[in-house]
Amino acid sequence: MTTAYIADTGVFIRCGGPDNEKFQRLRHALREAGVSLILPQRVYEELGGDPAAAEYPSGTLRHAEGFNEGWLTVADKLDYANSTVSTVMDAARRFIATETDREEDRIEKADTALVGLAVQLLDSGQADHIVLLTTDKPAGRAAETLLPKHGFSDQITHRYVSSEFLETITAGDFGDC
Amino acid sequence: MAQSPSRSDHPPIRQFQTVVDLLETPTLARMYAYVLRNGPATVSELVSELDIPQGTAYDYIQKLEAAALAEQTREQRPAEYDTESISLTLSTDGGTQTITPALIAAVARSETDEDIDVFVDRHGLDGLAAALEYAVEYVEGTVNHRIAARELDLSPLEAEIILQALEPVVTEYSDTTT
Repeated sequence: MTTAYIADTGVFIRCGGPDNEKFQRLRHALREAGVSLILPQRVYEELGGDPAAAEYPSGTLRHAEGFNEGWLTVADKLDYANSTVSTVMDAARRFIATETDREEDRIEKADTALVGLAVQLLDSGQADHIVLLTTDKPAGRAAETLLPKHGFSDQITHRYVSSEFLETITAGDFGDC
Repeated sequence: MAQSPSRSDHPPIRQFQTVVDLLETPTLARMYAYVLRNGPATVSELVSELDIPQGTAYDYIQKLEAAALAEQTREQRPAEYDTESISLTLSTDGGTQTITPALIAAVARSETDEDIDVFVDRHGLDGLAAALEYAVEYVEGTVNHRIAARELDLSPLEAEIILQALEPVVTEYSDTTT
């Protein structure tokens, strides 16, 4: 059984800053478990996208070390031509619009990219279970609700990445289930 | 709270001036927020819990008392003080903003949380007040940092930084802000 761990921007903000205890814990846990986190391309772009963020202590991000050390990778582009991927992403857009009480046209592809990548990894057989590590509760709930409706029952786990979660994370959190 | 002073005991302009002080003085904001959550408190408790000089603590409690934002709740020594919850709504041509205890607590936190301090430097207190409203939704799960970024005209990174920084304030004040 192959579990894929998709990570969102919030994971790296939580680990940012001069107090690197959470970053070290996460790095240690991933290396011990021999697991790589996967970033959607949109998340990778967000992480590198704002020089002004460096003014903030938590904006000092260390994800680049993850690429060098092999515990972080960037996913392939989302395949919108795959009808399963595009159907679930459209459904996620409607779901997130409802959850956030916004018009559907205000929800963008970046908002549904986590769900899209989860479906793509499952549909292509690259993974048979997804753990979604995010602070984006609407996207997390969209994934949990919609994947089972599109043929992926019991194949998604949504973890809200709180400070407490990272303060206690161990390799056991990345054991294949 | 021992008793709520009548409306005429709340001098509005004096209170407004003190609220401006609260917004501009993180240490005063921290004292106000502490007494509001943990009060009534004595001055010596404030000195030890908040690590502020005794003279400053006396000055600040008198300032809050004069604006009817604090009152003495025990006459015997040591005197004890409690604070009144703030709800001051400002209306200008530019819009309306309500100053709440949670906003004061966010200002107080800027003294120890450099992310909040940098955000206030970059976006002002109006920016902080707007971000706090989004942080309430973020904690409830009815917004994400990406939508907040677009609506507040921030980068997704900056939005996530300030939403995470304000999360503890929202959690602490969720009983009063919702």
